[in-house]
Amino acid sequence: MPKKILIIDDDPVVVKYLMAVFSDNGYATCSASSSMEGLEVVKAEKPDLICLDLQMPGEWGARFYRKLRKDKQLKDTPVIVVSGIDGDHAVKDAVAFVKKPFDPEKLVGIVKNTIG
Amino acid sequence: MDKKLLLVDDEEGIRKVLSISLSDSGYTVFTAENGEEALKIYRKETPPIVLTDIKMPGMDGIELLQRIKHENPDTEVIMITGHGDMDLAIKSLKYQAVDFVTKPINDDVLEIALNRAHEKIRMRQQLREYTENLEALVREKSAKLIEVERQVAVGQAVEGLSSAMRDIAGDLEGGLTYFNEMPCFVSVHNPKLKIIAVNPLYKERLGDKVGRNSWDVYTAKTGAGFKCPAEQTFKTGKGLRTKATVKTSNGDKAPVIVHTAPIRNQDGDVELVVEISADITEVKRLREELHRTQQRYQQLFDEVPCYISVQDRQFRLTATNRRFKEDFDVELGAFCHEVYKHRDESCPNCPVARTFEDGQSHQAEMVVTSKTGEQYNVLIWTAPLRNTAGEITHVMEMSTNITQIRKLQDHLSSLGLKISSISHGIKGLLTGLDGGMYLVETGFAKKKPERVKQGWADVKTIISRIRKLVHNILFFAKERELKCARLDGLNFAEDVASTIEPKIKANGIEFVCDFDTSLEELEIDAGVVRLALINILENALDACIEDEAQKSHKIVFSVQQEEEQIIFEIKDNGIGMDQETRESLFTLFFSSKGNKGTGLGLFIADKIIDQHGGKISVVSKPGQGSNFRISIPKIIPQSIKNMTGDWKEKNE
Repeated sequence: MPKKILIIDDDPVVVKYLMAVFSDNGYATCSASSSMEGLEVVKAEKPDLICLDLQMPGEWGARFYRKLRKDKQLKDTPVIVVSGIDGDHAVKDAVAFVKKPFDPEKLVGIVKNTIG
Repeated sequence: MDKKLLLVDDEEGIRKVLSISLSDSGYTVFTAENGEEALKIYRKETPPIVLTDIKMPGMDGIELLQRIKHENPDTEVIMITGHGDMDLAIKSLKYQAVDFVTKPINDDVLEIALNRAHEKIRMRQQLREYTENLEALVREKSAKLIEVERQVAVGQAVEGLSSAMRDIAGDLEGGLTYFNEMPCFVSVHNPKLKIIAVNPLYKERLGDKVGRNSWDVYTAKTGAGFKCPAEQTFKTGKGLRTKATVKTSNGDKAPVIVHTAPIRNQDGDVELVVEISADITEVKRLREELHRTQQRYQQLFDEVPCYISVQDRQFRLTATNRRFKEDFDVELGAFCHEVYKHRDESCPNCPVARTFEDGQSHQAEMVVTSKTGEQYNVLIWTAPLRNTAGEITHVMEMSTNITQIRKLQDHLSSLGLKISSISHGIKGLLTGLDGGMYLVETGFAKKKPERVKQGWADVKTIISRIRKLVHNILFFAKERELKCARLDGLNFAEDVASTIEPKIKANGIEFVCDFDTSLEELEIDAGVVRLALINILENALDACIEDEAQKSHKIVFSVQQEEEQIIFEIKDNGIGMDQETRESLFTLFFSSKGNKGTGLGLFIADKIIDQHGGKISVVSKPGQGSNFRISIPKIIPQSIKNMTGDWKEKNE
């Protein structure tokens, strides 16, 4: 069974892009357009890895991250931050911090190193 | 400097990381994880700077900001905001936050914010020193006034004293012992009209005239209208009072008032005459000094670069300076809150009231309205005025107009906000372009035409977003003269409608045009008015797309005429706006659309319509759609064309 990646980003074009990149590399994908929706999808889909944007209307990505880490079942899910904002104070133990615009090959490389 | 700092954030990670870097910068950092705890620590430690997150459970950052500013307006509060919280950031600036930093926190940005807070504290300190100097100056001048008045009284007392001297001299042989202490020229004359004794002041100012003739000291010659006062007294046996001029030892002349008193021997004959002269130049000089001091005091009062008023316990104005009268409608006896704020009741947190209570100086920052309706930010200082019994009868209020500083500060803050959000926006757009290109490329490679089509649609969407951003930035960056031309009104309306129609229909939304077919010629800058209308129509479209509560949506674009005005109306049944959104609508960089908004569209639309001498009004409620009504003159009057020049200068 292919590993599943959850993409959380409020820009549908970016979501489509990431879904195409990951599925071209043999991963299953699911997506959410906000932190709140992200939490529901995480619980329903139990993804193997999460791609998280930080700046979104409503709740900010870091809050999603904190809530995720409080959930015993989900707290070990690796998170890659994919965002246009500088600095990485907010999500200290993310697997990687990828700045937009990103190189899809590098991103896939990081994913492969993390979940195979 | 007090390097205490209170850091409030509900995220432990942020507290920890920031504490470390702030401690490194030399701050004593106190931390709190919520608003209630923060207030407790704040009251105990009274740090001059507070750094607080906006979104926290319980009391949020905005409320904490208001509580702190209420307790001590001198405290500078820096807000920490998430990237989606720009409207909150703007709101916090309104509540007097000194600055805000966005998460994740960049150390350089934080340092700039902290420096700004320090700068503001320092500025206030300087202003306070300046005001206190002013008070000291006023105190010093008042003391001088009292001194001068005392001396005038002394001058007048000389007369009374002289008559007392006469009595003493008449009654006592030993009367002469008093005269060394007299604050006048005192001399004693014998019947041969020779001076036989003078007091030290006489010796000092007029020279040692002992043995000389009684009249030698006077400038006038005896005879021609002048009689030597001592000689007169010997002749008549009576004391006299007269004006005369004496020569001083350094050659000057001094007007004096002369009093004489006869001193009789046991037989009742006049044996000696005591002559007492008071120098009236001294009195005159003191009077002039008094006048000058009063004048200087008035000048100081009128010319200091603040509004000064003196108020009684009912907050009625009992005196105001010139600058105050220039900018505010003043009637003595009017209430301060009436004049400054057009309020019926006294203001909460009135610094004057607090000074009446505790006799201390108080400070407050307020927004006041001038007689021309302009709003000024003023920094207010108060000082108690006491009567001789030490009771406070009045309070002096000094207000410095800091509107310019505030405007500059707001502008800089908005600019910082914009730069960060534009750069983020551009990164998002680039990522979107990459995405479209990826789909197109891999679609070709894998021979999936559907994927190519999808990718190309994304590229087109992103390019149109980039085009709009660039247009708006260009428009904002460059002030542009109107290029007015005559054109057919109906054609123009149809042209605008056909530009936006495909986009609206593509989203499954109904688009209704309602044009007055009798529309005549217009004279407008068609290019920019079209941009303004499209900006508003696109907002209507976004409002409908966002709205999930209703199934079918409709946008009505109508063009009518009312006398000399053309009225464009754009009505949607989308999500609508709350009051706060409505009020900030035309503010630069305000956006309620997250990633998709630039915060420029309506700001620019408003500017364009304003430039045409027109108006935009908005009616909207959450869930009930919005109605934008734009009215502009059909033909721009010459006066407005001329005014746009001024308008331009004013805004540069």
